[in-house]
Order: sequence, then C-alpha cells, then structure tokens
Amino acid sequence: MALLSIHNVFKSYFLHGKRIDVLRGVSLDIEKGELVSLIGASGAGKSTFLHVLGTLDIPAAGELRFEGRNVFAMNDAEIADFRNRTIGFVFQSHYLLPEFTALENVAMPALIQRRDRTETYASARELLERVGLGSRMEHRPGELSGGEAQRVALARALVLKPAVLLADEPTGNLDPATGEGIHQLLREVNRDLGITAVVVTHNEVLARSMPRRLRLVAGQVTEA
Amino acid sequence: MNAERQTVYRWSLIWSGALVALVGAVLLGLAITRADAWARVAGTLGLSTLSWGGLLQALNALGLMPVQSALPAAVKPVGTEYVIAGAAAWLVGWVVIASGIRRAPVSSEGPSPAAGATLYPRLAQYRDFYWSTLGAYGGGILLAELVLILLQTFLSSGGGSAAAGESSGLAPTVAFAVSLVVASLVAFACGFVGASRARRVAMPEATIGVIYLGLPVPILLTLMEQLPDLQLSLGYRLREVTYLADMLGRPVIGYWLVFSLLVLMLVLGINTGFIAAGSGRLDLRLGFELFVARRHVGVFRPSLLLGTLAVLMFGIIPPLIVYGIIRAVEAAVERTRIRSLGLQDPLAAASALNRLKLREQSPTMMMTALSVGGVGVGVMALIIVLSVMSGFEEDLQKKILGAHSHVVVSKYAGQLPEYKRLMEQIAKVPGVEGQTPSIDNPVMVLADDEVQGIVLKGIDPETVGSVLDLRQNMQPGGNLDHLEQPQKIAPRRTMFGKQPDEPEEEEVEDPIIGKSTTSASDKVLPGIILGRELAAILRVVVGDRVNVISPQGAELGPAGLIPKSRAFRVAGIFYSGMYEYDAKFAYILLAEAQKLFGTDGPSGIELKVADVDDARRISQAVSRELGGYPYRSRDWGEIHRNIFSALRLEKLVMGIILSIIIVVAAGLIVATVIMLVLEKRKEIAVLKALGVSDGGIVKIFLAEGLQIGVAGGLLGLLSGLAWCYFILKVGIKLDPSVYYIPALPVKIEPVQTALAVVIAVLVTYLASIYPALKASSVEPVEGLKAE
Ligand SMILES: Nc1ncnc2c1ncn2[C@@H]1O[C@H](COP(=O)(O)OP(=O)(O)OP(=O)(O)O)[C@@H](O)[C@H]1O
Ligand SMILES: [Mg+2]
Repeated sequence: MALLSIHNVFKSYFLHGKRIDVLRGVSLDIEKGELVSLIGASGAGKSTFLHVLGTLDIPAAGELRFEGRNVFAMNDAEIADFRNRTIGFVFQSHYLLPEFTALENVAMPALIQRRDRTETYASARELLERVGLGSRMEHRPGELSGGEAQRVALARALVLKPAVLLADEPTGNLDPATGEGIHQLLREVNRDLGITAVVVTHNEVLARSMPRRLRLVAGQVTEA
Repeated sequence: MNAERQTVYRWSLIWSGALVALVGAVLLGLAITRADAWARVAGTLGLSTLSWGGLLQALNALGLMPVQSALPAAVKPVGTEYVIAGAAAWLVGWVVIASGIRRAPVSSEGPSPAAGATLYPRLAQYRDFYWSTLGAYGGGILLAELVLILLQTFLSSGGGSAAAGESSGLAPTVAFAVSLVVASLVAFACGFVGASRARRVAMPEATIGVIYLGLPVPILLTLMEQLPDLQLSLGYRLREVTYLADMLGRPVIGYWLVFSLLVLMLVLGINTGFIAAGSGRLDLRLGFELFVARRHVGVFRPSLLLGTLAVLMFGIIPPLIVYGIIRAVEAAVERTRIRSLGLQDPLAAASALNRLKLREQSPTMMMTALSVGGVGVGVMALIIVLSVMSGFEEDLQKKILGAHSHVVVSKYAGQLPEYKRLMEQIAKVPGVEGQTPSIDNPVMVLADDEVQGIVLKGIDPETVGSVLDLRQNMQPGGNLDHLEQPQKIAPRRTMFGKQPDEPEEEEVEDPIIGKSTTSASDKVLPGIILGRELAAILRVVVGDRVNVISPQGAELGPAGLIPKSRAFRVAGIFYSGMYEYDAKFAYILLAEAQKLFGTDGPSGIELKVADVDDARRISQAVSRELGGYPYRSRDWGEIHRNIFSALRLEKLVMGIILSIIIVVAAGLIVATVIMLVLEKRKEIAVLKALGVSDGGIVKIFLAEGLQIGVAGGLLGLLSGLAWCYFILKVGIKLDPSVYYIPALPVKIEPVQTALAVVIAVLVTYLASIYPALKASSVEPVEGLKAE
C-alpha cells in the first residue's frame, strides 16, 4: 500500500464570479521513503497541491489516504494531530513564529504534543547543531538571515521525525550555494531517516537530481 | 455567480405582505384602543426604545393579553377578537414577505469537471441543526430553572421531610445560594454536554432552546407579580421563591437577574464544551496554550502591573507625571553613559543602545495595559461602592436593631395581659437571648410652645436592657432607673429662683409612690425618656416637664371625647445616632403606659436573638412554641422590610450600574484581542500547520483575554481593598448634619468582594469568546498567503 495516495482531487478558486480550476482530478501514489520533486510553471498550482497534500487546504472533491486511512474523513482534532505527527512543512518563506527563539521554534511541534520540555529542547538543540546553527539558538527569527531562518524552519519540520516532509521551494529565496546546502540536507534526511519528501522547485537541475520527478501542468500531475 | 449568495426579491409579494402586516398592526392598535390601554402600551414601548430594561416591560404588556384571554371568559378584556385577528394578520404578512425573498436558482453553467467525484467528506457530513443539541440546551436551561425553584422550596421548607420533625430547613438566603449554585452547575453541564456532543457552538439551537424553553418560567413569574389571578393560584406554591425575591423590593428584577445568570452559565458551558471537546476529543490541558499566550501578550510583567496599580490608586495624572520624570531622567543618564561607553568602545555603545531599544512599547502592549486598567477600575469601583453601601447598611441595621428589637411577639388583636406566662414559654426557645414587654402608641408631646408627634413606648426598665441598647444610649445627666423612682428626678430650678409660669394642672395626679407634693413644679411626676433630637425640638432638659396627649384611651369630657393628657418629667435623654429614632421616640414605664392608654397589658413582647441573621427562623420557632394563632411573631426583616429591601435594591442597582464599567472594559478587551488576532493571522496559520487544533487556537486567545481579565481583576481587588482600608483607617469625613454619621462607613464583605472579581473574570472570558472563535476560523492557507 502506498504511503500517501491521492485520488481524483479537485480544487478551484473563485474570484469575481470566475472559477479558476487549479487541480483537475489529480491522482497520485507516493511510496514510503521516496524523494520526489515537483516542477511546474509559476501559478500552475504546485503550492495548492502541496497544501492539499498536507491537509492545510480543503479540496472541493477527492480523497487523500495515508497508509490507507481516509484523512479528510477524520475530525478536526485528528487532522491537526495527523499534521503534527506525520507531516513536516517547509514553506517558500520560513514562517517562523516571531515571538519565540530559534530553539523554541524548532521545539514547537513537540511542545504542541506536550512532550517533555527538557527532552524536546535537547533534540531541538541537536538538530540546530546539525543544520549549522549551534550559535544562533537564542535568536529570534527577526535576528536571523533568510538562509538561517530557512534552515531553522527545516529543523522545525524534522524535529518530530515525520513520515512525510513537504517542502515548497525551500531554496527559492536563497543563493545557489546555500540552496544546494539545504537540498543536501533534504537528501540526507531522506536517506538517513527514511523520511518521504516531496520538494517543489523551479530549479530543473535540482529536480533532475531527485529519484522521482513530477510535473504539474493544466491541473494534472504527470511523471516527468 | 458561484460563490456569492444570490437573493431574488419578488417585490409584489413583499409589498402585499407588508400591507397585510400593516393591517394586522392597525387591528392590534384598534384592540389596544378598545381596551383603553394606549397609555400603558405606549409607556412600555417608549421605555423599551429608550433602554433595554424597558424591553421587559414591553414583554409584560404583550404577555398580559394572551394570558388574560386564556383566563375564564368573565375576565376577558374587550377587543380580544381584534387582538387575534390583528396578530394573525401580522404573522401572515410576515410569512408573505418571507416567501417573497428567494435564493437565486442554481447557475445555468454546465456541470464542472469535478461532477461525480467524491465530495470532500467533512462537507458531506455537514448538518446545521441537531434536535439533541436543542434538547440539551433548552432542556438544560429549563431544568436549571426548575432545579432552582424546587431545590429552593425543598431546602427552605425543612428538607421536605415531615418525619424529621420541626427541622424548619435552612435560612432562605442560604437555601437560595445553594440552589443557585446547583442550578448554575446544571446549566453549565447541559451547555457543556450539548456543545461537546455537537462539536460546535450551535447558536441556532441555543437561541431556540433559551427562547422557547428558558423564557417561559421568568415570564410566568413576572406575570404572576402582575396578575392577581395567577398569584392566587400559583403564589402559594412558589412562596419560598417569591419571599426571597420580595426581599429585593422589586421581585421581577430578581427573577430576570437569576435568569440571565443561568443563561450566562449555559453560554459558558457551551463555550467550554466546544473548546474542550468541539474539535474531537476532550482536552482540558492548558500548558502549551498559556506558553504561547504569554508570549503574545505579556500582562504579568512588573512594569505593567505596577503602573496600572499606581493609576488605580492615585488617579491618572500623578503617576503619569512621576513616570515622565523617571523616564526623562533615565534616558538622560543612559545617553550619557552610552556616550562615554562609545568613546572607549563603539561596539559596547551599540549593544547598550540596542538593549535600550528593546524596551520600547508596542501599541498592543498599550492596548493591553488600557484593558487591564479598565477592568481594574471597574472592579475597584464595584468593591469600594459596594463596601461603602454595606457599611451604610450595617450602620443602619445596627442602629435600627439597637432601637428596635429583633423579634416582636404580639396578638393579631388585643393586648397581652398574660405576658408573664408567654415570656416563660418564649424563654425556652433556643436562640432567644432577652425579652421585654412593651407598648407603643403614637402621641403628641408638648413642652411650653413646642409640639411634636412621636411614638411613646412603655417599657420595663428591668428587662429592657436585655433587648434594646437604651441603657448604653443614655446621655449623662439622666438615668433609666429614675423611671421607677420618679421622686429622684430633680426638678429643674430656673436660674433666678423664679417660679416658671406653669398653669396648675387640674387633673388629679395619681402618684405611684404615694407621696404628696408641695408645689406644682416640684410635684412627683412619672418619668419620661426622650431622644436627643426630640429634646432639642421641645427645648427641654432633664428635670423639665412635658405633657403627653394621647388620642388613645380618650376620656369623656363635658364636650364629648377629649384626648387624655398627662404630665411627665424628663428623666433622661438618649442618643442612638439615628435621627429618626432620636426625634420620634420617647419611653415611659410600662405601667404608666397601660394607664395612659387604658389597656390591661403590653401590646407585645420584644425579643433579642443571639444571631440577628437567624431571626426569621427563631421567630418561627417562637410562634410554634406559642401555638400560633392568636399569637404571631415577626422578625426585624419583616417589620422593617421596606427600608432594608430599598437598601438591597439600591445596592443591586448600584452593582449593575458599576458593572457597566466592567462591560465597557470588556469591550476594550474584545478590541484588544481582535487586534491581536488580526496581528497574528500568520502565526495562527503557522500554528495550525504545525498541528494545533482549532480548539487549541481558541484556548490560546481565550487565555490571552483571560490574562487581561485576571490581571485587571486582581489589580482592582488590590486597589479596591487598599481604598477600603484607607477609608476605614483614615476615614473620609461626612457632613454630620446631612448624614448623621461622622465618617464614611465601610464594611468589606468577602463574598461580595470576591463576586466582583469573579464577575470581572467571567465577563472578560465571555468577551474573549468571539475573538477567539474568530482566530480559530483563520484558514491555514489564508494566513500563510497573508504576507
Ligand atoms: N486565494 C486565491 N484566490 C484566487 N486565486 C488563487 C488563490 N490562491 C491561488 N490562486 C491562483 O491559483 C493558481 C495556483 O496558485 P499556486 O500558489 O498553487 O501556484 P504555484 O504553482 O505555487 O506558483 P509559484 O510557483 O509561483 O509559487 C494561481 O494562478 C493563483 O493565481
Ligand atoms: Mg507556490
């Protein structure tokens, strides 16, 4: 059974009485441990697709199954919990919480679960060391550079060792070298921790370096 | 076309509906004309447009008609047919209007490509109305009301168990408190269960439930106050309920207050149920939410708390001046320090400057401080004013109870010549501390040219001290015991030894002590004790003569009945500190009074009880001991009911008015939390993306509002108590000629003080519900896009 399988998903936006069909019956299976890249023109609906995959957005129709369970049939708390435990997000911009330090931001998903503070902070510290930010733990997001913040966001996405990592152009705003570093990290966690990852990118070279490549065109996802 | 809701209006239907409704209104107006009730209806409607309180009266006015038409035909008011026809036309009109408004037909576009795909499952499960939830809410409020009424009746009428003998139950106030708490819990629990089962707030069900199942009871009680027929048939059964409400003077206010409290508890229960379980599972843990909330609004920091406290204690201007001075000095000192630092090491200066910058305040922080201050002011005002009013009440009660007895035993008609036997019986009742027989009757007193109408009271000096404070209240110079030994009262000598020009009394004095007297002014007259004000009005002092004229026990004279007149000598002057008593009371010996009024015994026995608040129960026990009719026994609450219920009503109204401050502060909290929600949309979305459930978001923002409420409540409590202690220890002088009390009295009642804080916290909790729900409805995607 596929880890994540989405079936016949539709999503449209409505603006000024006009319907914009973004996803038109997308069906797709993603196996455990896969590293998948998703490319497509700007405005093709990549972010929308990723949001639906991560239960952040509500599709008009269709099914999302995780290990065979119908995710959208769960209730609000269960979905929140599902999101918390099984999905890690990295967005186009970092979306760290400005009131909290880097360390607290990384620990946040575990704190939401009400895990033990000291343990959580220990593993958060370890992760921050690993992404090379051992000296920035007490910085607030406003006191970090864009690349640093993005690495903190990656650490946050990984702190609970989720089954799925969804990354939406994580390197979009970064210089090529830093971006390559982040992609390197993504590959590492995919290899070492067995985390399934879907990475949206505009960088054809990077995309081609991934084992599986998807393309979003005209509301349909195809293998590229 | 698609997403927007389209409405089509059929104007022909709307206009004809409006016409029909208008006809109905005219018919109703006709009915009112026929019943000659325009003045009343206009009055109540006018009131209701002015204020919300009047709405109640409008309800009454409308409710009166159907109830009266349901009564037997004999009492049917005129114009009933018009009322029915008018109401029907009015309703039909509205139905026609409603049918003129239609949802637009579905758009004519072809089926979308998604037709036939599985609908998003949670959308497929949508249901907007649950009968079970309606049952839980409506049944809950009704149950709470019934529990309140029944439990109150049950508890205060002796636990209902006749077998337990004359246990006579709890004091009504205690019974009320207990049943109110139970009923509130019932309302809360029902709201909680309903919301947690439905997993949504379910406003429609709540509204319908409260209106159809909750409202009838208070409406019925209100009508009962106004319709004698209803009062006759129901009043007896509900006597425990009405007794308590009557203590307020305006029972209707009491009913509606209690009703609103129950509705409030229901709403709280609904909200709590939704938060706790609405998102799928019961989760009452708060640690994480508080952690986030505290970062969003830092209420509990010393600078904010101390600043607000200073404002509450000393007003706005002085702390502001002090703050300004401190900040100016600090800034100057800091700048010189940083400059000298920078001359040595620019980096050190930069870091110091940075730290200085971090301390600057954000607008949200200012809003937070304002809200905390608002709640604080409300709580403080509530505590101070209620404490002062309690002080007045206590003072009044003390004075009334000093001059009057706690319980009076009398006969429905006639005197109590058998009082000695009764007193022995009464002495057996536990809780009775002292008793004294007495007579009181209105009389006129004369001294020279001055006349005053007063209450003359015959007392037994031996026992009166065990009931009244008369002995302690005697002014120096007089003596209570001289009532029994009138020969000891020294007649006042005028300064120049000249005889005062008194006319010789024609009536034969009947000296109790058979000692003949030499001159009129030195004659042994029975003693009388006057109040200080009365003495001042009559311009007499101890030893002076006064004449008492009593309409009772009138004598047959040559020209028909003439009032009896007797001379007395002032044996003493008392000062109770209460103008009413000091100006309107005089005391003489019981035997003298019997003679004067021509009765064969005292008119009542006055009792003092150990616990003033227990007087009602003891009074009932006494009445039972004496075997009821023809004896009756009334406690002070019953005797002085008007003044105390006026006081209580005044206090209640003050409380309500001052609570408006808290409500305004709650408005501030709503604004603050909404601002926070708007400011934190992105953070809310991120938190949701990280896996915080809707319930969790609600909790976070409720916690933010509650922090403000709790901080404000505690600061208000602190400053209110501080003010009360200030008034208590230092005192605020009052003009004695106006208030008859030297300084502002204060009495801090713990329950009432705690209630002020609890109300503030509850109101802030309520105020934060809406913004918190708003926060939880932020869609993660929306927030993430809001850059
Ligand atoms: N809230 C919205 N209302 C209306 N249209 C929207 C909304 N959000 C997105 N769209 C439209 O939906 C389409 C898909 O948006 P999406 O953000 O998924 O694109 P994308 O593939 O991620 O693009 P990019 O590579 O630039 O990030 C776009 O054409 C956009 O204009
Ligand atoms: Mg995008």
